[in-house]
Amino acid sequence: MSALLLLGFGIVALIQIPGLVRKQWWRELTAFLVLWAAGLILSILLAVGVQLPQVTTIIGKLISGNGA
Amino acid sequence: MLLEEGRISRFQLTMLMVGFIFGTSVIVSPARSAGHDGWIASLIGVAEALLIAWVFCALANQFKDKTIVEINDLVFGRILGKGISLIFIWYLFHVSALILTVFSRFFATEIYLATPKTVILIGIVAVCASTVSRGIEVLARCSMVLVLLTVLIIINDVILAIPMTDIKNLLPILEIPTGKLLWAAHSAASFPFAETVAFTMIFAFVNNQKGRYIPVAIAILIGGLSLTMLVARNSLVLGPMESVYEYPTYMAVQMIDIGDILSRFEVVVAIFFIFSAFLKVSVLFYGTALGLSQVLNLRSYRPLIIPVGILMIIVALTNVGSSVELFSFIEKVFPIYAVPWLFGIPLITLIVAKLRKLPQTGGDQV
Repeated sequence: MSALLLLGFGIVALIQIPGLVRKQWWRELTAFLVLWAAGLILSILLAVGVQLPQVTTIIGKLISGNGA
Repeated sequence: MLLEEGRISRFQLTMLMVGFIFGTSVIVSPARSAGHDGWIASLIGVAEALLIAWVFCALANQFKDKTIVEINDLVFGRILGKGISLIFIWYLFHVSALILTVFSRFFATEIYLATPKTVILIGIVAVCASTVSRGIEVLARCSMVLVLLTVLIIINDVILAIPMTDIKNLLPILEIPTGKLLWAAHSAASFPFAETVAFTMIFAFVNNQKGRYIPVAIAILIGGLSLTMLVARNSLVLGPMESVYEYPTYMAVQMIDIGDILSRFEVVVAIFFIFSAFLKVSVLFYGTALGLSQVLNLRSYRPLIIPVGILMIIVALTNVGSSVELFSFIEKVFPIYAVPWLFGIPLITLIVAKLRKLPQTGGDQV
């Protein structure tokens, strides 16, 4: 599963990065890489079975005090 | 350099907005907590949304060729403006993830029972990403076809359900306490009618320089009245059982059976749910990617589309534990949670802009 993810993320990077490097859009490349890396790390954590924080549930608990 | 060079007409704006309002609400009826008085709550919700829309349209009219991110920069200065813009972009991102959660849970429990939610999410997000990368014009043109079809299907479903209705299911009218009714109305306004605040990212690309309120008000009225019709139809067909079902619209259409020939229409509901969810996610997705690139001063929003889509899928997969939690969040927490975005940011920005006498002449048309 993780290998498949790496392949997917690799393809995305291969499609996006060369164009950005050619145009020398470094700022765009940095923004892309930061978000891409965040996606990659979170996906791998998800694939290996780590329980990620449930954003909506947490917001619900913060607002209603005792859980959504 | 302009991030978006496409322009849409006021009519296209209206159609896109109607599709946006339909969104998930064609499946998850608004104002469900009001029971059989849901249709009244829904109508009050439309009125509230018209009021909220008046504020953000006044803001958009002041700065006609600016998105909310650029307006924030002008009104609050670069640093505070970008902070407020990021908070606004979070709203677009989070609502989009919520829509995707509802979408994937609906399809995984009702139609594609053996398909993992990830596959369903990758499918819809890939289509939305492809549309978003082609710009606002393509999205607006998609809405012209899809919204028309959706409205026709809604009318068809309501007419075919008439033999199954029982007027007693709506009686007694106004049985619930006023407080509960107003809460349900506010919940309908916050999800979905006033979510149209997301269009503050899009108003800048409307080619006609006339006011923005009329097309927005027309869209809220068409979307709102169509959804109210669905809410009333669900109550009329399902009666007290409505509150038991997770997706009452789907169940109500499942009951349609005319002479054993016209039946099993629920798949049609699922199809128009795909249309409207696609339009809603695309608008929010577009707003997120464009807003983020404006905050970061990028020359194009396109490099951000795929990574933002991936993050949306991850949040949609993990943001709630169960459907019960999800619907409880939408009914009980979201109406409070959404207040800063629906009332707060547009109203404060408008007041500060008026106090600072912005926009100054020369730069923008007033």
